Amino acid sequence: MTHARRPSAQTVAVLQALAEDPSQWRYGYDLCTQLGLQAGSMYPILIRLADRGLLETSWETERVPGRPARHLYRLTGAGRAYASSAAAAARAASPAPATGARRPRPRLEGA
Amino acid sequence: MAVLLVLAFLVAAGLAWVLRGANGADVPAKAVTIAADRLPAHRRDWGRAMAAELTQIQGRAIRWRFAAGVLRVAAFPPPSHRNRVLAVTVVGLLAAAGATVAAAIEVPGMSVFAAVLGLLLCGYAAAVTARSTRPRWGTLRTLVGAVAMAGVAAAIGTVVRIASAHPAATTDSGHVFAILFALILTGYVALGLTPPGHGDDANTVLWWALAAALASGATWVLVALAAPATAIGVIGFLSPVGAAAVLAASAGAAATTASRTAGAQAGLLTVVLSAPVHFAVGLTAVLQVHHYALTTPYDVAAYPHSGFPDVASYLLSDAVAGNIIGLVLYPIPLLALALLGAAAGTGLHRRGRRATRRPA
Repeated sequence: MTHARRPSAQTVAVLQALAEDPSQWRYGYDLCTQLGLQAGSMYPILIRLADRGLLETSWETERVPGRPARHLYRLTGAGRAYASSAAAAARAASPAPATGARRPRPRLEGA
Repeated sequence: MAVLLVLAFLVAAGLAWVLRGANGADVPAKAVTIAADRLPAHRRDWGRAMAAELTQIQGRAIRWRFAAGVLRVAAFPPPSHRNRVLAVTVVGLLAAAGATVAAAIEVPGMSVFAAVLGLLLCGYAAAVTARSTRPRWGTLRTLVGAVAMAGVAAAIGTVVRIASAHPAATTDSGHVFAILFALILTGYVALGLTPPGHGDDANTVLWWALAAALASGATWVLVALAAPATAIGVIGFLSPVGAAAVLAASAGAAATTASRTAGAQAGLLTVVLSAPVHFAVGLTAVLQVHHYALTTPYDVAAYPHSGFPDVASYLLSDAVAGNIIGLVLYPIPLLALALLGAAAGTGLHRRGRRATRRPA
């Protein structure tokens, strides 16, 4: 059931961003700024990935005064495998990709 | 137009009050906190996650954009069971299509209403299914839902009876009243089936609202049976019975729970449960009139140019339109009463506690 639906381009982009350094915990707004996605698109993707067991979530344990703990995300083992296969499927679907054509544009604004 | 302006002002004032800055929080932070609290229980962690992210974001425009995204997620969180949502949507659309076809055959004047109501209820059902993992309804909440549905069904049934007996009375060439009626009834259904109030006070809110709504409904039926029917437009729009029921429910719930919010919620739910019953009883009384006569100089002058085939259709059309507007406006003054009742109820609670603490 996990692989029944082909992921959207945005989901693939999120998976690739998380797969860049799979051991590193990422937080939502960091991914939003990297991929140029709005929170209204990013969080549903993260929620669906977590529902499918592809994403591990955790609350920040290190307390920073003046702000609440952040929710952190990284791929599970199944998530890493899925990210690889989704990236391969995306490459296969576009046989002659222009350099950087589907690559999300990083943004420098915000935190 | 004046009514719409007043409504718009009240809505804007209400939003400003809800989103007013508190504890140094700006409007996006307040909106995100409220939206996060409205997420389904199994998604609430994600609401906290998004609210925590906002605290890191600088810049008004970026904060607003992030808050808008959070509101979108809160309104349409990803469903846990897509197939269940799809099934509910398909069944809902089929039911809406069936109701529209049935209305087009039996009461053609109400086919637009049936279509719009069907689509709205289908959307509501899909949204509720998407938001909840498994609905858990206790006996009390089922009772409240049943009363809400019965009231709405009675309201629709009364208009159908009028449309069958006097088709011209429900002719609505611009479909404005048909759409307004469908919209407002969907709102009543939504609030009746997913009533406000969580936690320990939820059952108290439901009890007070249910008791007040049933008492006011029974009183309206008795009054309608006892009083001679008259064909006037808006029947007792600001009913003293309705006002008393809302005051009693809000004050009672607030005094029992010591919570002003619970009192206001009980008052709101009383309005939601009783308004469609009031609508149905009032219009049924008008429908029982044996001889319709023009009684005001305005009606005497206007009727010949109105295009209605008979006086009954003219007066019933006026009554239906007036009562639909009444359904829209009915909650406004009563909600103000609910807030007063809630304040009085918490005051009573404090006074009661002081009296019991006082040494003999």
